[in-house]
Amino acid sequence: MANHNIPYAVLHGMNVPTSFIHQEGSSFDFGELEEAIVLQGVKIRNDDEAKAPLFTTGRPAATLEMFPSWPMRFHQTPRGSSKSGGESTDSGSAVNTNSSKTENQLEPESPISTKKTTPLDQQQGMASDISRTGTSIAKLPQEKRRGSTSEKQLDAKTLRRLAQNREAARKSRLRKKAYVQQLESSRIKLTQLEQDLQRARSQGFFLGGCAAAVGNISTGAAIFDMEYSRWLEDDQRHMSELRTGLNAHLSDSDLRIIVDSYISHYDELFRLKVAAVKADVFHLLTGMWATPAERCFLWMGGFRPSELIKMLISQLDPLTEQQVMGIYSLQHSSQQAEEALTQGLEQLHQSLIDTVAGGPVIDGMQQMAVALGKLANLEGFVRQADNLRQQTLHQLSRILTVRQAARCFLMIGEYYGRLRALSSLWASRPRESMMGDDHSCQTTTDLQMVQPSQNHFSNF
Amino acid sequence: MHYQGESWGYYMPTSSMPSDTMERVVKLASESAVVIFSLSSCCMCHAVKRLFCGMGVNPTVYELDQDLRGKEMERALMRLLGNSQAVPVVFIGGKLIGSMDRVMASHINGTLVPLLKEAGALWL
Repeated sequence: MANHNIPYAVLHGMNVPTSFIHQEGSSFDFGELEEAIVLQGVKIRNDDEAKAPLFTTGRPAATLEMFPSWPMRFHQTPRGSSKSGGESTDSGSAVNTNSSKTENQLEPESPISTKKTTPLDQQQGMASDISRTGTSIAKLPQEKRRGSTSEKQLDAKTLRRLAQNREAARKSRLRKKAYVQQLESSRIKLTQLEQDLQRARSQGFFLGGCAAAVGNISTGAAIFDMEYSRWLEDDQRHMSELRTGLNAHLSDSDLRIIVDSYISHYDELFRLKVAAVKADVFHLLTGMWATPAERCFLWMGGFRPSELIKMLISQLDPLTEQQVMGIYSLQHSSQQAEEALTQGLEQLHQSLIDTVAGGPVIDGMQQMAVALGKLANLEGFVRQADNLRQQTLHQLSRILTVRQAARCFLMIGEYYGRLRALSSLWASRPRESMMGDDHSCQTTTDLQMVQPSQNHFSNF
Repeated sequence: MHYQGESWGYYMPTSSMPSDTMERVVKLASESAVVIFSLSSCCMCHAVKRLFCGMGVNPTVYELDQDLRGKEMERALMRLLGNSQAVPVVFIGGKLIGSMDRVMASHINGTLVPLLKEAGALWL
C-alpha cells in the first residue's frame, strides 16, 4: 500500500507537478500527491482543466474555505518525516516539535509508516482515506475503457467532485487532529510549569523572575537550585530507606550500608556547594537556595553545626558516657571553629567597609579592584563553613553506633523537612494582603518579616 | 601571640635558593610549639589565629608581608601545600598540619587537642 500511489503516477506517465513533491524541502505530503494523482487521472480522461489550476499552486485553497472555523494553519498539518527511516526534522511544523516528544508507535502496515510523528489514529484515518482514494483511482481507468464518453464524463465529474470532497474532509480532519494534539501538548506543558512553579513557591523562592530564563539569578545559582531540588528528592528516598531499615531491624552491617550511603548523599551536597560557591557565593550566603524558615537559622551559607548537635543531643538517648563526652566535645569544638570563622568574616567585613568607604577617592578603579579582591575571600569562608559542616556529620557517625547514627540522620532529615514545610505553610497562610493573592508579594513580605531575626546578617 | 616579622631582615643572608627558603620555613616551624605563617591582610589567617587563641593556645605568628623574604617563603609554602593559597599554614610541634580546612577537620575529629598537648601548647 505504501507505494501504491507513486508507481501509478510514474507508470502511467502522468505529469505529476513536481511542486507537490518538492514542497517544504525534504518532506512532502502524501495527501497532496494523492490529490494530484486523482486530478491528473481525471485530467487525462476529460481534458477538463477547469479545476486543475487550483491545485497546481500546491494549496487546496478551495477546501480551506469549506471549513472556515479551523485556523488556516496549513503548514502545521503533520507532514514531517515522510522519508523512510528518517527522523522528523520539519522545523516549520509546530505540531511535529510537540508531538515528536510523544514518540508514537507505528503500524508497519500503514501506508504512512514513515511518518513517525503523527498519532496512530491519524495514520489509520489516512490509511482508510488512501484506500478510499486508491479505490477511486483504481475505478477510474476501468471506467475509461467501458461505456460512452458522455456518461463517463458525468460519472467522472461527479467522482472527481466526490473525491475532492473526501480529500477536503480528510484534510480538515487532519488539521483538526493536529490542532487538538497541539492543544493537548500545550495543556500538559502548562500543568508541568504550574507544578514546577508550585514547587518553587513552596521552597520560598522569590517570584517575579526567579528563573534564570528571566535573568534575575545567575546561571550558577540556577544550576545549584536545580541540583539541590534533585538532592532533596534523593533525600526523601534515603530517609525512607533509613526508616524501613530501622523498622525492619536489619543487621548492623546492612544498616551500615544505608547509613554510609546517607553520608555519601550529604557529601554529594557539599560537592555541589563547592561548585556553587565558585559560581555565585552570594546565592549561598544569602540563603536564596533555601526556604525562608531555614534561612532564618542560616550561618555562613548553611546550617550551624553546633545548633544541629544541640538539637540532636536530647533525642539521641541512650548514650554511653564515652559517647556523651564525644558529643559534647564535638559541640564544643564546632562552636570554637564557628566562632573563629565568624570573627574572620567580621574582619573581612570591616576591611571591605574601609575599602568601599575609601576616604578621599584617589583612584576609584583601584579602590574597586581592591574591594573585588576582598569580596572574593567570601568564597573561602563559605567553603570552610561547609567543610566544618561536613566534618561534623562525619564525626557524628563515628561517635554513634550504627543504629544511633541511622536514627540521628533520620532526625536531621525530618527536622529540615519540617522547617521546609513550615516555610510552605507560612507562605500560604491566609492573610489580608494589600496586593491580593499575589504570591510574590507574600514572599517578599515574608522575607521582610523574617529579616529582623537574622541578626547574623547584620554582619554583611 | 608572638609576631616575628621584621627581626628576620637583619641577620639572614639574602639567598634566593628555594631549598634555603624551605629550610628556613622548616627551621622556623620547629622553633615553637605552634607556628602560623600568615599575611596581615588575610582574613582567613585572622580566623585561624582566633581559633588557637580561643583554645587558650599561644601560637607564634610570622606575617610574611612584613618579612623581607616573605615572597619567597610564600612560594615555598605554596609548593609545600600544593595549592595556590600559601597562607594560613599551621605547624604544630614542627610538623605540618596544613591550611584552615585541615586544621578544622583535625579539631572536629578530636586529633588537634592531643597534638597540642603533645607539643606542650596546651595544658589541661
